[in-house]
This record gives sequence, C-alpha cells and structure tokens, in this order.
Amino acid sequence: RLFFRHKADFPSLRMLLTIRKQLRSHPALIPLFFFIGGGTTMSLLYLARLGLRNPDVSWDRKNNPEPWNKLSPNYQYKFFTVNMDYSKLKKDRPDF
Amino acid sequence: MAHPSQLGFQDAASPVMEELLHFHDHTLMIVFLISTLVLYIIVAMVTTKLTNKFILDSQEIEIIWTLLPALILILIALPSLRILYLMDEINDPHLTIKAMGHQWYWSYEYTDYEDLGFDSYMIPTQDLTPGQFRLLETDHRMVIPVESPVRVLVSADDVLHSWAVPSLGIKMDAVPGRLNQTAFITSRPGVFYGQCSEICGANHSFMPIVVEAVPLEHFENWSSLMLEDA
Repeated sequence: RLFFRHKADFPSLRMLLTIRKQLRSHPALIPLFFFIGGGTTMSLLYLARLGLRNPDVSWDRKNNPEPWNKLSPNYQYKFFTVNMDYSKLKKDRPDF
Repeated sequence: MAHPSQLGFQDAASPVMEELLHFHDHTLMIVFLISTLVLYIIVAMVTTKLTNKFILDSQEIEIIWTLLPALILILIALPSLRILYLMDEINDPHLTIKAMGHQWYWSYEYTDYEDLGFDSYMIPTQDLTPGQFRLLETDHRMVIPVESPVRVLVSADDVLHSWAVPSLGIKMDAVPGRLNQTAFITSRPGVFYGQCSEICGANHSFMPIVVEAVPLEHFENWSSLMLEDA
C-alpha cells in the first residue's frame, strides 16, 4: 500500500472519468469539445508547420543558416494554392 | 474612383477584387440574417407577457446553438482562406514595375527592358481642367497593358507610405529598405485611382496613385514616348 496507488487515484484519470460522467447527463457538451478540440489541434498543427517548414525559420544555425536561399522558383512553400501549379513554372533564371 | 456619398466598394477591375466583392456580399448576408434574428428575439422577449420560472436546462437546444454557429463560421472561413491564398499567388508576370514612395509623390520605374523612370505628383486643385478629379489626378500615370499580369515592387525612400488602388483590390505598405511584392491583372481597360494609405507627413492626403490600363500597342507607344522625353 506504500508503493502501489489505485488507478483511479491519478488526477488526470480522475478528470477524464469526471468528464465522461458529466457528458452522459449533458450530451450537449460533446459538440463543444469537438469544435474547441479540433480548432486547437488545427492551430497547433499549423504553428508546427510554420516552425518546421517556413523558409524564414532556421533552427540549426550551423548546418542550415539561411534556408530562404535554398528555394527554387518551382517550390511551393504556401500551404494551399488555388490556381497555380508551381511545379509547372519554367525556371528562367541563373543558378548560384 | 468613388462617387460622392458612396458606401460600398468601387467596381472591381481585377479578378481578385471581384472575389473580394462576392465574399463580402456572402458574409454581409450572413451578418444581416443573424442580426435580424437577434433583433427579432430581443423584441419578442421584451414584448411578451409570458413567464416561465421552471426551465433548468435543455440539451437539444444547446446542441443546436453550438453546431449552427460553428457551421456558419466554417462557411465564412473557407472562402476567406481561399481568397487569402489566391491573393498571394504570383503567376508569371509579364511586367515588373517598381513603385517608390517619397514625401510626397510616387515614382515609377520600368526597368525590364530600358531604364524608364518618372515621378507622379498630384495635380493641385487650382490647375485642374474641367472633368478632372480633385485630389486624385496626377501629372504622370502608371500605364500598364490591360489583361497582362503585372508585378509591382513597392518600397519607400524616406518614411512609411502605402500603395493602394481599391478597384484593383491592392494595398501594399511601402517600407524604407524593404521590397514588398504584389501582383495583379486588370480585367478591363480604364483609369483606376488610389491614395497613399500610410500617414507620411503634411501632404499624406495629397499623393495619389493613378493606374491606366491600355491595350498593348498603346502601352508600347507610351513607353517609347516617355523614354524619348526623359
């Protein structure tokens, strides 16, 4: 009894069990969790994409100091294109 | 340009501005519907003699008034993000023009083929000829070929300015030491007016922008003439 705690004693599990019990009597909360959770997830995912894929961001100053210099004109760095197919563009400028 | 006491947008002269117009109509319609509903509910609540002291909760209506606003917001967000990404696309411009803001005039440089550059000062009110627009006309207009994608690189020489042409749906800040890029296509020939959109000193209201879209032959004649005059 000194070293083994009951599964239901952990605070995070307690919180989840309480939420589940309350959801059974208040099912209107389910859409709330869905939209807030979905919105938060999408925002965090986009932040992560910005941090990792944005050419303005350099995490490793020694090996990758200026990632914005590594873009080719065909590279699509935006999340979404409506009308443009960047891979079809001609590359008509000199290499460095 | 805007006509007197105009409330809405100017007529669109570029496809991006058309998209913005339609999105604005779509969103404003949603806003009107919601406001009408809310106003009706307020009037109904205020003018009723009925009272009910015993309702504690209702799961069904809570689900409805969570799902419906979320759905409406998604219906607004999806077109909005689409236009946002559409505005950032630069698709193979035929012409690149540099628009430099100064205190208190714009200067345009067409340096793709030859070195063409000129300043664009506002025409003072006392020098206007009949039919010209007060505080909007300039001595030299930025002439571009119609229906050709044009790229404008905006910067400034001294303080912050902003290059804006509402009927093309363009506003781009002119920051000293920085190049900002914007691109557009004019769908029809015409003359399109705009004004400096960042406070820049005493004559901030008196440095307008005039874009004139003409057929390609006229543009070539104009640029030859301007090169000779320079």
